[in-house]
Order: sequence, then structure tokens, then C-alpha cells
Amino acid sequence: MDAFYASVEQRDHPELRGKPVAVGGSSLRGVVASASYEARQFGVKSAMPSVTAARLCPGLIFVKSRFEVYREVSQQIRGIFHTYTDLVEPLSLDEAYLDVTQPKRGPKSATLIAAAIRQQIRQETGLTASAGISFNKFLAKVASDINKPDGMKVIPPEEALAFLEQLPIKAFHGIGKVTAEKMRRMGIFNGEGLKRLSEIELVRRFGKAGRHYYRIVRALDDRPVNPNRIRKSIGAERTYREDIEDPAEMKEKLAYLAGVIFKYMQKSDNYGRTLTLKAKMPDFQIITRSKTFARELKRLEEITAVAYELLEEHREEMPRVRLLGLSVSNLQREQQAEGIQLEIDFEHPNLGNEPHEPDHF
Amino acid sequence: MKFSVSSSELLKRLQIVGGAIGSNPVLPILEDFLFTISNNRLRIAATDLETSITTEIEVMSDTDGVVAVPAKILLETLKALPQQPITFTVNEENFGIEITSAYGKYKLAGEDGQDFPNIPQPDTVDTLKINGAALTHGITKTIFAASNDELRPAMTGVYFQVDFNKLVLVATDAHKLVKYTFNEVGSEVSTSFIVPKKALNLLKGSLPEKDEVTVSFNAANAFFSFGDTELVCRLIDARYPDYNAVIPVDNPNTLTLARSDFQNSLKRIAIYANKTTNQVILNINDGSLTISAQDLDFSNEATEQLACTYEGDPLTIGFNAKFLVEMLNVLESDEVKIELSTPTRAGILLPAEEMEGEEILMLVMPVMLSN
Repeated sequence: MDAFYASVEQRDHPELRGKPVAVGGSSLRGVVASASYEARQFGVKSAMPSVTAARLCPGLIFVKSRFEVYREVSQQIRGIFHTYTDLVEPLSLDEAYLDVTQPKRGPKSATLIAAAIRQQIRQETGLTASAGISFNKFLAKVASDINKPDGMKVIPPEEALAFLEQLPIKAFHGIGKVTAEKMRRMGIFNGEGLKRLSEIELVRRFGKAGRHYYRIVRALDDRPVNPNRIRKSIGAERTYREDIEDPAEMKEKLAYLAGVIFKYMQKSDNYGRTLTLKAKMPDFQIITRSKTFARELKRLEEITAVAYELLEEHREEMPRVRLLGLSVSNLQREQQAEGIQLEIDFEHPNLGNEPHEPDHF
Repeated sequence: MKFSVSSSELLKRLQIVGGAIGSNPVLPILEDFLFTISNNRLRIAATDLETSITTEIEVMSDTDGVVAVPAKILLETLKALPQQPITFTVNEENFGIEITSAYGKYKLAGEDGQDFPNIPQPDTVDTLKINGAALTHGITKTIFAASNDELRPAMTGVYFQVDFNKLVLVATDAHKLVKYTFNEVGSEVSTSFIVPKKALNLLKGSLPEKDEVTVSFNAANAFFSFGDTELVCRLIDARYPDYNAVIPVDNPNTLTLARSDFQNSLKRIAIYANKTTNQVILNINDGSLTISAQDLDFSNEATEQLACTYEGDPLTIGFNAKFLVEMLNVLESDEVKIELSTPTRAGILLPAEEMEGEEILMLVMPVMLSN
């Protein structure tokens, strides 16, 4: 979807149309979650501090986010995808990979299906979407950014190598800012330059990721579109209006975050063995500290208690914070393929013969 | 203050007492032994505030007194000395300690013994008497099943349930459970308490073979006395789960087989099992048990067949091989009996014949088969 949250706001609030809009907190501490194309012309980008955005774009209108609405639209577009294929791998609320090698309906051409889907999205949601069409996930993703907004790009196999050679490094999906800068200093500016490095050289300089770079620049990517992408973690974080210094206040915030993630865990019936505390310092440095247990944390009191412990044990490393986050990982759903160690259920010892996964006592 | 003692006798005592010293003491003085001399007896104490050990030894002394001696340096010194009489001279002004051996002099800085934390004294008459070797046995057979999960404190210890002449020890981590019963203990009370693992491990290493152990307890502490030695530990203040309610009494399928054959087979098969679950699959039919495992990540798999006696319906059930091996390890009988119900309900492991004066029952939860 193009400028997803901002476009939804412009759709629902006609007075915002044609104006620079940023979704996110307008306060001193806020961050831009999404910017309309009018705002992007001024250099406003998502994840930018609101203060910076307001400076770049003096007339910028800040709008509060409405995630319930975005989630609803997201469901709507996923519904549309699923009428064409079951091989849908969502990347976020507004983005997904679709494998249409064998579509359930419609034309046999991926390009025509993409056009039909974009048309249907516009009709049903009033929003515009862009598409990238190619023969692997990496190329499709890169292509989807080429003719944004409201456009599409096809990279057929015979054009892939030439396309990648001219592609600037920063447009390679999966090569981050830091790596791109490192490459720039090595004199690598585009795919052609990247291709000159041997696999061994790339691995030596960039570790395991180097092998991935070696492959993608040669259009080699055989990752399947995975419709059951397994959730690796459940987390929540908040940036605060003012830096927090008082440990009691930090605890209060952690208790709140624990409640938020616990609600998700309960809803998805998915619990994890590792709890991670994340803190962002006033200088934007990020610290994460975690604890792993032999079994899943299944009660809110446990999660809160462990969060407090993490805070207390690493208090000195985080004297002042602007952001706190909590997440659980090592989720049990991840491990189910391996069989589940059952627990003695001391709380309900007399339950019948039904297969039963006890929770806690 | 000055006293003489045999270096090897002292070392033997210090090694027992030193077990109580924590790896990361909260106070510097907790890295010390407390030496108290009175009437030609040296009382040695160490504590981590949870567990304390004290013992006594005969010495030749001129006066009574008290001093705290750094444990690590003293132990190292004694270990490096051949057996011989040594003399301690303590400066009562600054607590400087001078040790004299046949080879020379060693000086170390002690601390004021008055600063050493008080060690709780038994204040009740609730006691039970048990043979030292029997208690060691009971600890060995249960402690491995206790949990390391600090979120469930009750399970990090072993539950002592005293019922007049019977003592039941229970340990569980919610995956496995051991219930061990002594039928011959001397007690006139009925009570229960949870003893932390650390204290039991220390006891296991220092209990005498022949002597009786007297166990006294109050609401907060348990005291184990044997010979000149006493171990005091703070009890775990938590409610122990109702273990009796979870032990199935009517598992209909009974498998009987040779203990060591089963254990050895499990050890081999486990090498091929998934490393996180250690899952092995028991496939049981009349007279034949197939044990298998696979690790999909590495395409490893293994299968063995064992002779057994089986009464019940054919059954396929998964278990953590590590748990089974640990449990079989503490049994002594040649044959073991496994009572099973369904693939998702607890299995019971029993020795085919009981040792005299003891009963042991182990419970293990299955690993649920995927698909």
C-alpha cells in the first residue's frame, strides 16, 4: 500500500487530501509512523522524530494513529489476495508476498493478476497499492518500490541481471544503511560493483549476510513464499514524552507493557521462554537484556516480575530512558514441530483422558 | 589467643564447613570461617546466610577467643602442607593471624569474629532420627528431580514429609516427580517442610555412613546434626504442590524389562534424538519394545528393539530420554516396571522389587508426539 496509514487518514478526512500529513505523535518525543506523499516531498520519512519532520516541512499536519482502522483495511486487502492464492506471506499490515504460479482464479499471468488486485483494492478500499512482479521474492520486493506510488514494475528473467547491475546499493532490499555505507567506502555503489566481489570476500567482510548478498545480486533467491510465517516474538514498546529516570516510574511503565504483551499472548495462546527488556537512552543508544527460562512464562505476574528483575539487574546501564520495550521470544508455537514436553498439572490433577496441555500453578 | 591443631584434621573439617560459603557473598565476612575457641575445642562455622555448617575439633589452646579467618587462603595453605601440627596465633587487637608450620610462618588478615552473622540455634523439640547412609540414599534418589526454576520456589527444594515413623521425600520439576518413602525413622511428630537443594547437596557430601542423623526443625529452619557437625538451612517458604493427587493409580498398561538394558539402549538412541526435547518414542506391543528417535534437523535417526513383558494395549508414547536415564540411574533393581495409560498422561516407573525399608515411585510426563 502507498503511504498506508497516511493514505487511510486522507481517505477518511477529506480536508487532509493534497496536504502534507504525518501519522504519529506530534509531541516533542513523537515519531512519524507514516508520511503522505505531499510530506515526503519535503524529506519527511517514516521513523523520523516528529520534531525533525516539523522542521523540514513547516505546514506538516500531525494525525493520531488509528491502528484498529489500519488493521481492518489490512484484513480487507488480505481477503482480496486470498481469492487469488493461498500462498500469501504478509510482511506487515500493508505488504505481502504472493506466489501466483498456480492461481486459484483469474488470468495465468502474474502481471495481469497484479493489475487486477490493484484495481480491486482501489475499488474496495479507496486506496492505492503498488506491485512488483518477478520470479523470486527479492526481485519482486525491489520491483515493488520502483514505480511507487500507484504503479507496478515487472522484472522478467531476461532483464534481471542487467536490472540488478544498475541498481544502487541502497535500493537492495536487505542491505541496510550501515552496510551500504561500508560498501560505499569500499567503492561499491551499485549491483555491478557488488558483483565483482567473490563469495569468500563478501563472507569475510559481512559475515553470513555476505553469502546472501552474493546470491541476490545474481538474482539467486529460492526462498519460498511461506504462508505460515511463524511469529518469532511478541513485543510492545513506548517512547515517552520525557526521559524517565525514576525507577518506580520505569517499573510502572514495564508493568503496563507486560500487560500489553500478555494480552497478545493470551489471545494467540502463544507463550515464550525468553523475556527481553529493551531501553533506548536519551542519546538513542539501544540496550537489550534478556532472561531465558526452562519453561514458558504463562502468567502476567511472572512476566512483570522478570521485567522488574531485568531492570534491577541492569539499572546502572539504563539510568535514563526515552523508550522502554518488552518482548517474549522462544515461543512455544515455534517449537511444536518437535513434540511438546507435557507438564504435571498440579492445579487440575483429576482432568480426564483428553490430551491436555497444563498451564501453570 | 593461640592454639595448635593437626593440619590434616583441620583441613578435613574445613572442607566440609567450607561448602556453605557462597560463590558470591553479599558481605566480605561471609568469605571467612568463624573460629571460636573454648575449653580446648575449636568450633568452626561458615554460612551464606541461607545455609550454615558448624563443626568442632579438639585443639590445644591457651585462652578462649573468637576470630574470622579468610577461607580461601587458609584452605589453600592447608592443602599445600603435609600432615603436621600447626599453630595459630591471633592478635586480638587487629585480628592478624599467624600460622606456624614446620617450614615457616604465614600471616593473614582476619576479621573481628563479633561481626560474623549469628547462626540459628534449634529451639524446638520436634526431631526425627535417621541413619546417615539412608538419608544420603534418599537425597541422591530425589534431588535430581527438583527444579531450577526460581519462579516456582517450592519445587527448587526437596519436600520432607514426616509422619511419625515414616519419612517421605518428594522432588519434582513438573516434568518428572520422585516420591521416596523410608519406613523406619524415629519420630513422634507429623509435619512437613521444604529443604533447598544446596543444603541437601552439602549433606550428601558430608553425612557419615554409620552414625544417626538427628533432624530438628522449626517454622524457619531445619537442623541436621551428626557427630560434631551441624548443618542449618533456611526452609523454602512456599506451599508444596499436592503431589499425591497427580500420581495416577490406575494406569492399565504394564511394561516390565531389564533396567540396565533399557538404560543403555536409551543412551544410544538419545544420541540421535532432537537436542531440545530429547524425544524418544517407545512403541510397545506384546513382548517387544521398539525405541526410536529422530532429529529432523540433521536427518539423524535410530531404532532398537528390546525384549520385555507387556500387559496392555499396543501403545506409542514419547518421553524425554534424559529424564528416563536419570530416573533409571537411581534405581537398583534388576528389572523395572513402567505403568502407562495414554500418550498424553503420566507414566509411572517402579523397581520390580523394592529395597528393604524403602519405597520409591517415579512419575514422568510424556513428550507429546507432533502430528
